[in-house]
Amino acid sequence: MDTARLLPLVVAVPLLGAAVLVATGRRLPRLVSDIVGCAFAAATAATALLVLFRAGHPGPGGYPVEWVGGWQRVGIVLVGDPLGAGLAALVSLLVVAVLVYSWRYFEEPPRRHTGSFPALILVFQAGMCGFALTGDLFNAFVFFELMGVVAYALTGFRVEEPKPLQGALAFGVVNSLGAYVTLLGITLLYARTGELGFAQIGRRLDTEGPDGLVLAAFVLVTTGLLVKAAAVPFHFWLPDAHAVAPTPVCMLLSGVMVELGVYGVARVYWTVFSGPGGLSHPDFTRALLVLGVLTALLGAVMCWQQRHLKRLLAFSTVAHTGLFLIGVAVLTPEGISGTALYVLGHAGVKAALFACAGVLLDRYATVDEHELFGRARELPAVGVLFAVGGLALSGLPPFGSGLGKAAAEEAAGHTAVWLPALYVLVSAVTGGAVLRAGLRIFAGVGRRPRDEEEGGPETTGEEEPETGGRLGRIPMPLLAVPAGLLAASLALGVVPAVASAVGRAGALFTDTGGYRRTVLDGHAEAVPAHVPPHWQLTGILLGLLSAALAITLATLAVRRPVHTGTAALLAPVRRLQSGHIGDYVAWLIAGTALLTALTVPGVR
Amino acid sequence: MSPRVRLWVFLVGAAGFAALFAAACLDLPAFGTVPHPYGVRAVHAALSHHTANVIASVNFDLRAFDTLGEESILFSAVIGTVVLLRQARDEHRKDPEPATVHPPVRRFALLTLPFALLVGLYVIAHGQISPGGGFQGGVVAATALHLLYIAADYRALERVRPLTLYEIGEAAGEAAYVITGLAAVLAGSAFLANVLPFGTLATLSSGGTAMVLNAAVGLEVTSGIVVLLARFLDQAVEIEEPGEGGGSPRDTRDSGGNGDDERERA
Repeated sequence: MDTARLLPLVVAVPLLGAAVLVATGRRLPRLVSDIVGCAFAAATAATALLVLFRAGHPGPGGYPVEWVGGWQRVGIVLVGDPLGAGLAALVSLLVVAVLVYSWRYFEEPPRRHTGSFPALILVFQAGMCGFALTGDLFNAFVFFELMGVVAYALTGFRVEEPKPLQGALAFGVVNSLGAYVTLLGITLLYARTGELGFAQIGRRLDTEGPDGLVLAAFVLVTTGLLVKAAAVPFHFWLPDAHAVAPTPVCMLLSGVMVELGVYGVARVYWTVFSGPGGLSHPDFTRALLVLGVLTALLGAVMCWQQRHLKRLLAFSTVAHTGLFLIGVAVLTPEGISGTALYVLGHAGVKAALFACAGVLLDRYATVDEHELFGRARELPAVGVLFAVGGLALSGLPPFGSGLGKAAAEEAAGHTAVWLPALYVLVSAVTGGAVLRAGLRIFAGVGRRPRDEEEGGPETTGEEEPETGGRLGRIPMPLLAVPAGLLAASLALGVVPAVASAVGRAGALFTDTGGYRRTVLDGHAEAVPAHVPPHWQLTGILLGLLSAALAITLATLAVRRPVHTGTAALLAPVRRLQSGHIGDYVAWLIAGTALLTALTVPGVR
Repeated sequence: MSPRVRLWVFLVGAAGFAALFAAACLDLPAFGTVPHPYGVRAVHAALSHHTANVIASVNFDLRAFDTLGEESILFSAVIGTVVLLRQARDEHRKDPEPATVHPPVRRFALLTLPFALLVGLYVIAHGQISPGGGFQGGVVAATALHLLYIAADYRALERVRPLTLYEIGEAAGEAAYVITGLAAVLAGSAFLANVLPFGTLATLSSGGTAMVLNAAVGLEVTSGIVVLLARFLDQAVEIEEPGEGGGSPRDTRDSGGNGDDERERA
């Protein structure tokens, strides 16, 4: 079949699977509904990989473009450019991993609704794949909402405890508000241009100069996407939701959903606003760089402060999102391809780390670093995976996360010389925090932390295992999945074909004119000149430096008493994460104003 | 943050937001002057496919893929509600008590019910011709059933509401939409392409697949809203909080089924 024809199937197949599971889920035994869920997810993954494989090969037409319903230039277009198709493939593969991981998870599925968990995961997959593949702004909004709705329900899945519901509520309120802001921006663009496709809007905008409406549309559309991406000051929902969501869901939320927000910002800017009628490149760079640096620093600082493992990993996601935003902000093909590789590597590593945290939660009914001190010595395999994950998170070569970090920091260094230092620092601190927790939990190194030394109300854990009871022996999938994810992350950095494909994807992604011609005129476009991510001496050295710093920080932290001075200094920052939804909404509105202030010189 | 600080953060942000939005509104095209480019194309496209209701044509033909997403949002919202409002481990379920209804209320509700149901089905069936369609008609039809709750009591409603059937109906509506789209692919066309005969403009059988997709959405929305309301009503009428109502008449904590299933088995 024509490759373009396959694009809608990446969305349709998981939706069909979800419908089948809901219709039959009442009668099916658990095992069968899990197998059905996995089969549909795997079929989608195979389709997405096929699209990616075909789109990755240069040929006539460049990459597949499909007008749904055959409505050329009037309807909705799906675009399988290598970056979008690659993200759809990443989403699908991670969904398969998550479904396998949760094979024996949740000993008690909702009574008489065994199919509902895999069904929700499949709809989540459809929403994320649709968001990655669509070439239409309103359609992107629909999929943005779809993945949101599913994610809220999945976050609150364990209804017996109050915290998941509170986390899901904060997540739902903040993300819905972000979506409304985006919708407001879409209506402005629609009123001006009468178009909804990225390429069409972009072309129409470029026939006139930028004005207040274009700026407002940019700010509003981007705000909602930044909420999803958990950029400061829109990030507050993320730690609250990730700390309480079921572990398999966290793997998807942190691994890909948040990164899709960053992808949305980049996609919308490059296709709609990067021309002469949009927002000038220096203005975009300034705005996103400021938010990215703030996000990376705040995420790293907060990550170091946590003792609740899932919260710690959640803040590390915030920190890394900041780095991804910086990679997008520099507006070069190399920045995009480096960041894309970083996202791929990070997805594997972060999902693996969450998977390890899930094992701890189900065996010890806690993920508190201090309560678990030395208790997990009996799980050396999990400990090794956790430590490898921590090192990969800090950017150790030759992991994919390391190569991505190296390429992104080099691209960022061309914009500002101090940015590579930020990459090293942030990845070292987040990796160090993971290693510190690993040393305490799995090796019992250092002094047993006393509880009064640190910790606030938000870090005390009263958890329940997510399986029926505490685990005795660790089931095979709970170990195989993180091991496989880490191996995949390693392969991304080692296999040269990956890097060259990502480099090509970044070059096509940033070729605005080429995108519009491919989508609207069906022209085959040559790939612009580009440098694919590759290992360089500086990158390797900086990666080793990050890893060494992470190890040093971790060893110092477990050997020395906690500095109450720094903790007190950072207390106001910690208090911002209040759990009060009103605070988060106020910050969302303030963030919109901040984004306006950062981009307003763009109006001439 | 203290309420005061929160208010200030919000006010400063809102001021910036207001300024931005006001600036944007000043640059909007003047109201009612230029014919909107999309409107022109949409009307042309709707008429070319013999769909009298242009909105339905946009929803189920031109941008049918958006509607698939929107239908899926409702679909997953309903599954999400079923999951979140399930009977928790420490909650009990009790039989709803019979209620006494004032005769005038009962008469009025029973009289209205068939009409409301008919209106709902009419609005669904005529989606491609006149204002309305699957989404709107589905909500009307689903709420019509609930007039029984007003006319009699919750037990009467539960008797005409086999939830399993509605859950299957919801999934069938979702599946029908996807399968209609896939059928077009099998017929050698694009996903969700309008491959059926268009029929005569402004008749019940016009619009090709727009008609089929509209009906699929009608089925999904009717069933979905029934399931949704059932979950909320269960929560309000039948499910008790842990400490509530001491001597619970029927403790189903360990019986592994919710009330509906037990009644079905009975």
